[in-house]
Amino acid sequence: MSLTNPPSSGSLSTRTKTVGPSLKRNLQATVDETVDSRKTTGYTSKVRVRDRYHVVGFISSGTYGRVYKAVGKNGKKGEFAIKKFKPDKEGESIQYTGLSQSAIREMSLCTELSHANVVQLEEIILEDKCIFMVFEYTEHDLLQIIHHHTQPQRHAIQAHMVRSILFQLLNGLLYLHTNWVLHRDLKPANILVTSSGAIRIGDLGLARLFYKPLNSLFSGDKVVVTIWYRAPELLLGSRHYTPAVDMWALGCIFAELLSLRPIFKGEEAKMDSKKTVPFQRNQMMKIVEILGLPRKETWPGLVSMPEYTQLQSLVMHRQPNHYHRGANLEGWYQSCLKNGGYSATSSVGTPGADGFDLLSRMLEYDPTKRITAQEALEHPYFANGGPISANCFEGIESKYPHRRVTQEDNDIRTGSLPGTKRSGLPDDSLMRASKRLKE
Amino acid sequence: MAANYWASTQRRHWLFSRERLADIREKLREQDKVSHSQFPLPDQRLLNIYCNQQLIKLGKRMSTRQQAIATAQVYLKRFYTKNEIRQTNPYLVLTTAFYLACKMEECPQHIRFVVGEARGLWPEFITPDVAKLGECEFALISEMSSQLIVHHPYRTLTELQDELPLSSDEVALAWSVINDHYLTDLPLLHPPHVIAIMAIIISVVFKPAHSSNFGGSAQSTLSGAMRDGSGMNMLAALSDKTGHGPPRIQKLVLWLAESEVDIKAVIECTQELLSLYEVWEQYSEKNCKELIGRMVKTKNLDK
Repeated sequence: MSLTNPPSSGSLSTRTKTVGPSLKRNLQATVDETVDSRKTTGYTSKVRVRDRYHVVGFISSGTYGRVYKAVGKNGKKGEFAIKKFKPDKEGESIQYTGLSQSAIREMSLCTELSHANVVQLEEIILEDKCIFMVFEYTEHDLLQIIHHHTQPQRHAIQAHMVRSILFQLLNGLLYLHTNWVLHRDLKPANILVTSSGAIRIGDLGLARLFYKPLNSLFSGDKVVVTIWYRAPELLLGSRHYTPAVDMWALGCIFAELLSLRPIFKGEEAKMDSKKTVPFQRNQMMKIVEILGLPRKETWPGLVSMPEYTQLQSLVMHRQPNHYHRGANLEGWYQSCLKNGGYSATSSVGTPGADGFDLLSRMLEYDPTKRITAQEALEHPYFANGGPISANCFEGIESKYPHRRVTQEDNDIRTGSLPGTKRSGLPDDSLMRASKRLKE
Repeated sequence: MAANYWASTQRRHWLFSRERLADIREKLREQDKVSHSQFPLPDQRLLNIYCNQQLIKLGKRMSTRQQAIATAQVYLKRFYTKNEIRQTNPYLVLTTAFYLACKMEECPQHIRFVVGEARGLWPEFITPDVAKLGECEFALISEMSSQLIVHHPYRTLTELQDELPLSSDEVALAWSVINDHYLTDLPLLHPPHVIAIMAIIISVVFKPAHSSNFGGSAQSTLSGAMRDGSGMNMLAALSDKTGHGPPRIQKLVLWLAESEVDIKAVIECTQELLSLYEVWEQYSEKNCKELIGRMVKTKNLDK
């Protein structure tokens, strides 16, 4: 499953190779490696991955490492997704280099968290200089579901399925927020869906506690949230941000479920050689094109945003009326409903006016006015229109394809979709960023 | 969960009864009787004072916040409920606990920097190889079952500061008392809010006549005041709801009665702290350093 990096659309259509015995052995070796070189002194794990799990395939990879599908062994039942964190330097002699802060956060938070709409951790095994985080296996994720609805031609996701997905997502997010956890990387690829239609918020690699942090949130990670889902206050350089950044991302996901396309599909400006965080002009423009310009009358905090002058220059370079003409969310929503065939009389149903109201409150510019997870759960969109199933597939005839599991271990699918930088330790994140640039 | 102490791993897995803790330590001793007779170590609390002072030294050089030091101290306690100290290099373990706590408390330090600073302090016991620390980090996390989020009493103190309300002197003294409780087993025995209330009561009851420079330990301020007995009598009065003593204390007694805090536990914590300040008188940094040094060097634990 795509615990972090979304697979590129190209790789989804790649033909799965036949399973050869030699390939299988290679896969299992991913959890067996360096076993023979184990020394008698020093740290050795009391639990061994290979004693408990049989790796059956490879799911995805990212900067953190790789994710494998596995089945329980020696009496252990069920399917699992094993996320293997690689040490920084790969090669013949892996050395202990200290764990990344991202790994530490994910391990500690997943150990502590327990909620039906948050990814469920089975166990963590530290073995042979690697970390193996064992999660329940989820058959789908939202990226894959959205993708499926564009094949072979676009067909809208049923309105009641969207409603169930969003309700479960908000439920999970409310749990995180009431426990002072900011997710900071919500996007379709990180929203997992079980075969019985339960939504699980996944990938807490960027999540962190926000209760009176010793350092401001900004000083820890300068860039958070994948560009398309990044809230305007982040784009405008806000030093202090709140759970509202997650609600913005959820608004973007809601819109994407309805339109089957990212609503604000901007291009990311890369960090320059001085490592200063650039103003994401293009992304900001994509938002402005649909929502209109943010105004200080409705967002008083706007003028104190570090990038406020940049925003003004964005206006200067365009004709004054450019963004006001046709720039409104309602117009976008109505044409989205029309294109998707959403209506009260059609078989897909419609999210209706309540759906629009909720969306507009999630995509509210001013983070202090943006709807909270708690408020969203009480919104008429959920209150009206009957019961909400805890199984988002309820009443859905079509079957979604199973997660692609390959037998290749070297399939590095960095993909065409933007990702998120996993910083933590300033020096190691910079090193990784420069590495990426070279690639 | 992270914000909810009642659902936390700290409450579910790292809260012991006194008997259970004694039992665990006895088992560790049984497993390595030879080392125990060969390498006697000072009282656990004196060792804790020593380790804490080393952590503070390490932290000072990197201007680390108190909370990261507190988390590191809790990690040490947890780790040594699973491992016999005589089979470890305490300098490496405490440096690793510090390194890990800094990451967990969101004030990370680079591993090379931490190792470099630790080597500056204890060149005989810390090798320049960062992999040693990285390996120890694995051991630490594994022994703690990745349960790294620690709930501290500081939060309760801050929350109650306005509700009670407390003067800035009282908050400062209570803060120092909380700092000191990490030198005892209390973090493994009581929930953080009980500790916070104990610290508040002490700071109100034993309020020093003149405000001195707190910040670190409250030992110098409190050990005299607690020994003269009058404070302890007042403390005993806490469970007596008829209310005697000065109005300030009466108010606190009333608040305690309403809050349904376990008064018995609070008094037990106070006694534990008093006994810490007593044992502190015997503390000798030199003695701790020598005993640990001899143990590490003789057993080659630094290799």
